[in-house]
Amino acid sequence: MTSRKTLGLTAAFMMGGASIASAQTTLEAGQEVDMVLLPKFLGILVFDQANEGAQEAHAELGNPGELLFVGPTPENSVAGQIEIMTTSATQGQGAVMLSNNAGDQIAPAAMAAQEAGTRVVTWDSPIPGGEGEDVFVAQVDFGSIGVVMADMAHSILGGEGQMAVLSATPDAANQNAWIASMQEALEGDAKYAGIELVDIVYGDDQAEVSYNRALSLVDQYPDLGVIMSPTTVGIQAASKAMQDEGLCDQIKVSGLGLPSEMVSYTMNGCAPEFALWDFRDLGYLTYYTAYGMATGQLTGELGESFTAGRMGDYTIEEDPGRPGSKRILMGPFTVYTAENVEAAAQ
Amino acid sequence: MLGLVDRMSPQTLRILALVIVLGAVILFFAAVVPNYLNGRLFNRVSSSVAIMALIATAQTLVIITRNIDLSVGSTVGFVAFATGSLVTNNPEIGPVILVAYAMALGAMFGAINGVLVAFAKVPSIIVTLGTMALFRSALVEFSDSKSISTANLPEWLISFPNTVLLQWGQLQFRAGFVAAVLVVIVVHIALSRLRAARKLYAIGSNPEAAEMAGIDTRKTVFVAFVLAGALAGLAGFMFLARFGTITVVAGLGFELKSVAAAVVGGVNIFGGSGTVIGALIGAILVDLIDTSLVRWQLVSEFWREAVLGILILLAVAADALLNRRLVAARQAREHRRAEERIAAELAGRAKGQSA
Amino acid sequence: MAGQPRHGAIEVSRLAEPILELRGVSKSFGMTLALTDMSLALLPGEVHGLVGENGAGKSTMIKIMTGVHQPTGGRIEVDGAAQVISGPQAARALGIAAIYQEPMVFPDLDVAENIFISSASQGLWLRRGEQRRRAQDLIARIGMAFDVDQISSGLTLAEQQAVEIARALSEDVRVLIMDEPTASLSAHEAAQLRRIARTLAGEGVAVVYISHRLEEVFEIADRVTVIRDGAHVSTRPIGEVTSEGMIAEMVGREVGNYFTKAASTATAEPALEVAGLTREGTFEDIGFTLHKGEVLCMAGLVGARRTDVALSIFGVAPASGGTIRVNGRETAIADPSAAMAAGIAYVSEDRRKLGLAMPMPIRANVTVATLGAFLSRWGLLDAARERDAAEAFRERLNIRTPDVELQVGMLSGGNQQKVMLAKWLNMEPDILIFDEPTRGIDVGAKAEVHDLIRAFAAGGGAALVISSDLPEVLALGDRILVMREGQQMGVLGAEEATQERIMALATGQATLKEAS
Repeated sequence: MTSRKTLGLTAAFMMGGASIASAQTTLEAGQEVDMVLLPKFLGILVFDQANEGAQEAHAELGNPGELLFVGPTPENSVAGQIEIMTTSATQGQGAVMLSNNAGDQIAPAAMAAQEAGTRVVTWDSPIPGGEGEDVFVAQVDFGSIGVVMADMAHSILGGEGQMAVLSATPDAANQNAWIASMQEALEGDAKYAGIELVDIVYGDDQAEVSYNRALSLVDQYPDLGVIMSPTTVGIQAASKAMQDEGLCDQIKVSGLGLPSEMVSYTMNGCAPEFALWDFRDLGYLTYYTAYGMATGQLTGELGESFTAGRMGDYTIEEDPGRPGSKRILMGPFTVYTAENVEAAAQ
Repeated sequence: MLGLVDRMSPQTLRILALVIVLGAVILFFAAVVPNYLNGRLFNRVSSSVAIMALIATAQTLVIITRNIDLSVGSTVGFVAFATGSLVTNNPEIGPVILVAYAMALGAMFGAINGVLVAFAKVPSIIVTLGTMALFRSALVEFSDSKSISTANLPEWLISFPNTVLLQWGQLQFRAGFVAAVLVVIVVHIALSRLRAARKLYAIGSNPEAAEMAGIDTRKTVFVAFVLAGALAGLAGFMFLARFGTITVVAGLGFELKSVAAAVVGGVNIFGGSGTVIGALIGAILVDLIDTSLVRWQLVSEFWREAVLGILILLAVAADALLNRRLVAARQAREHRRAEERIAAELAGRAKGQSA
Repeated sequence: MAGQPRHGAIEVSRLAEPILELRGVSKSFGMTLALTDMSLALLPGEVHGLVGENGAGKSTMIKIMTGVHQPTGGRIEVDGAAQVISGPQAARALGIAAIYQEPMVFPDLDVAENIFISSASQGLWLRRGEQRRRAQDLIARIGMAFDVDQISSGLTLAEQQAVEIARALSEDVRVLIMDEPTASLSAHEAAQLRRIARTLAGEGVAVVYISHRLEEVFEIADRVTVIRDGAHVSTRPIGEVTSEGMIAEMVGREVGNYFTKAASTATAEPALEVAGLTREGTFEDIGFTLHKGEVLCMAGLVGARRTDVALSIFGVAPASGGTIRVNGRETAIADPSAAMAAGIAYVSEDRRKLGLAMPMPIRANVTVATLGAFLSRWGLLDAARERDAAEAFRERLNIRTPDVELQVGMLSGGNQQKVMLAKWLNMEPDILIFDEPTRGIDVGAKAEVHDLIRAFAAGGGAALVISSDLPEVLALGDRILVMREGQQMGVLGAEEATQERIMALATGQATLKEAS
């Protein structure tokens, strides 16, 4: 196994698309615009990392305006996001960068914000219907996450066995899209014919619920080989549960996780491989996109191309998962194994 | 058997009724879920209920005084996080100090509730609704978006809840569960045997009379909240040990689950009666239903919460009905016996007169 | 029955120093002056009768002596030294305890736990066995006998009071205040309670005995204090007082005999016909006819199940068998709203639980059952018309209050009773059930309530009056229905009814045939 598998294929294909587009925009620094970075809710590490990336870009571009990192409290996520969106519009913020946790419920507030002249750039998790959203900065191609998860399952199971999914909440847009793309991959490629997806359960992104759900899966499917959890809370809780119950020999855990949280489970074999992208980069790219749009340097047209500082060139394209919506694809992401996880966890 | 029922106090009858309902629930799921009844089920439920048992005990203390504590979930979350970050930064700290820290922190939160409820005379539902949000926001602020992760916790802490103390066939009695049950038993003995504990019941039973009887109701209610906070703090410690990963959502929703467990366990929501043993069984029942539902194929993810609610209501109804039957049957027998006694006495007297 | 000095102990105790003494105590609530210059000395070993009309300030005095209220002026002395009684706890520590008409027990705790709930001096742990034994001893000491392990919610009122007395005894009580203790007890239970009071006095306790039953005061008290309008009127040995003189001092004027028999206004037209009414395990085969313009009294001892019959007619706890005909038509009454729709109203015995919303103003209590009549054009409540109605009742029923916006809970018992009557009279019912309408209210208010009931009947209403006060039953009833333990023992006409015959039926010592 390679120490660091980089899935550049999709990204390279997209780069090819960029050449069709018109002129490459280089964003002019130093323009003043106030912006809001709105995570699903406060208190989660990856969102803080995204904020670090955005602050980096903010400093780099020398924006004399303000970058606010505001979010709702966990128990009030949906209502809180809608409220912050509305408030930002009335305050005349230049752009709101949203990791959406409110499904399509936030669309009316987002559209109202757009009408008030605030640009809405989503990241991490889009508005499913695309309404009220200027563009979605996708961490990776949602289709490719499905393929990567299917690949990890294939490698862990040795091509043959049962898999169950432990997701976040039943209405989390990003997780649902990734699971759907994984199901598509499993059905579409004969390579995965030996893998049986037996169940999808939800741990609500809470440690205790995820932990108990993981154990229930074990009880229900005696032949289960792998639990696939596309959420950082779920993968860690499932790994802890398997380790606590001494089940790591039979059942492996995989999915999307943070190296710093997963390192011990990867080293002891409970979670031999998992994947993730860099949330700092995601915040950085999102800031560049939002800055460009809020200052009018980017129009948000399909095919428009720009340079996002240290990360290089990106192009606005149609979102294959959500027809009619636009996205910017960050890519690539990293698969972690025992060989690279310790370095990444530092 | 009947003789045994007659000697039981109403509280004990209540627990008997609960155990019967618990058995019925197990049989029901054994019938609809394949491969259900085994040692694993016991191990799962017992480890998972360890935390809720402590929180339900805390909640019971407060409910007995005709109050409610909706901030327990936030207290558990905050304490779990704060204790986790303390031990992460100072790995040399030992178990005794860490547990004491967790309980003291919880007691402090309880004291905030207690002052507002007992001395400022604000209704507890309003106070704790406020502090629920307040403590949660404090956690968001305090955590600075960091989470506690297993990797940084000392080995003794993580392995503690799952250490098997006693194995009996497939059944494992693990340290977390055993510790929780011990705490429940200690609180139970204190509640039923300590002179001061009667005051909790008295206040919940008739607050006006308690005042007239010279009970310091303010101090007593305050102490109830502080103790509940300390128990919630202990639950926070157990939460940390069991899950290792603590984020800002830790303990979310525990407040209502603990109320459900207490009420299912026969604690009167209007105060004055109830036992923590009942609350423990209530917690087990709620957890059992929750765990088993996941394995019941007939119920999809989206209906699970609703079915959980319905099953809890059914369990409460069945328990109340059963309890009433048991008590009524006993009273009928007592009545009959009293009549016989009087008849015998009269007969004896008649004999005495005729003699 | 007033007259000869009886209790020899009093001659000795009069020489003793008072245990508790109020000197010129006054108390005001905002603008209201509840007590002015009140003085009272309680001697060890005496039963001290305290009488006064409702609102005279008796309750305030009790609350000051038990530390619930602090006096605004004057001072309190215990054993000759000035004391501040800062709260109920402090009062208990000084050996001052009170029991009330409605006992203050903890329904969820058992008898032994109730008795020892506030005794702090017995260590950390409960010693159940010992506690039980001591509880049994205390109960036996006051001449009662019941299981101390049972939960208190199942006790009768008399037993609950016994529990309270036992609680006071367990704390070495020195001053025991008994506030209307016999108002809800049967004659037998009341006699027993008076005996307990005498026993305690014999042991050197100062007993304050408050009662509206003057004959009771004459029977038990060594000295009697009359208060009126928050001020002390007189304190005399019982031998120097007559019943007429005492009543005159209480009301501040001479009153005629309040038990004058009014002329019957009964018609032959039936308003309420009850036949075969049964609720299993509670009462059985109750049957009577109540006519328009008639006052039918229900007599019986406590436990006769009269209130249960009334509650089933009013639909609170419907009967399982039998028929009810209202104005000649058979009517199914499944709940109170059906009863109200049929023109039946019920004035509860228990003002606190079933009758009044204590924290709400008088106005709202008067109109709560008939809100539909006080709506403005927009369907909103018309507060001005509500006020007018409440004001009208205040005058008609002589409710003593500065304002109809006052909370009902602030009124004295007699005035609360009048508010409750107003609430139901306001409905203009055809049939009105009065459950112990004069329980715990003073002589003057009693006469007023009797007049009201009579006036209601004279206006064509049919009144069913449950009362345990035999002179009242005899004075008020056109006919008297006697019950015993859920059985209807018979119906007596006014002319044939005497106290003795009613008691004979109520105690089961005679059936109607033998009695008549």
